[in-house]
Amino acid sequence: MTDFSSLLRVLADGHVEYVLVGGAAATVHGSARLTLDVDVIYRRTPENLSRIVASLAETEPYLRGAPAGLPFRWDVETLQRGLNFTLITTLGPIDLLGEITGAGPYEKVLPDTMVVRAFGVECRCITLEGLIRLKRAAGRIKDLEAIAELEALREERDHER
Amino acid sequence: MHPGPGPIPPDPIIEAYKKDIDRTLLRENLKLSVEDRLRQLMQLQQFAEELRKAGRAVRRP
Repeated sequence: MTDFSSLLRVLADGHVEYVLVGGAAATVHGSARLTLDVDVIYRRTPENLSRIVASLAETEPYLRGAPAGLPFRWDVETLQRGLNFTLITTLGPIDLLGEITGAGPYEKVLPDTMVVRAFGVECRCITLEGLIRLKRAAGRIKDLEAIAELEALREERDHER
Repeated sequence: MHPGPGPIPPDPIIEAYKKDIDRTLLRENLKLSVEDRLRQLMQLQQFAEELRKAGRAVRRP
């Protein structure tokens, strides 16, 4: 299970620049689908990589699905050498994405985001329209049902206004 | 990403999938705060994990 309360607080306290995307972002917008991990796209500046490493260090990040004992160092150098990391932490699974297919890096996604408040902290989340565009751009068959739900959510939301 | 903030054009395949969406669940979720939506997801994850554990226990000889 993902401890959203603690995870969002850890990222906020560490002043990490990130955008919540994927299934958890869909939940923020009202999705009823089950998602088991948290996807975030993070800014790849040296300062932000340092913030990510410092903030998540206490959650003991490790490569998800990797055999126990595999050498993995949680430091800035590791983040610099890679791009997308699927991690398991003491707060639950988290995917750190340096880029997203069809969307690009953090800076490209940023204009399509909004700030939401939950568990006493602020969290930057992709907009509903941004999430629909992103999932459409990814072009994955498995996302068709999720996109349909997001578009239905948009219709329901707009109908309420 | 799809260029610009303009309207997203309808896609016939997605429109077909949309017919099977249970909108009653969405309407209930839209009444909740963001925090409550995330809390609900955590409960759902916990429930899924309990079911997985139960399934594993049944399969164990």
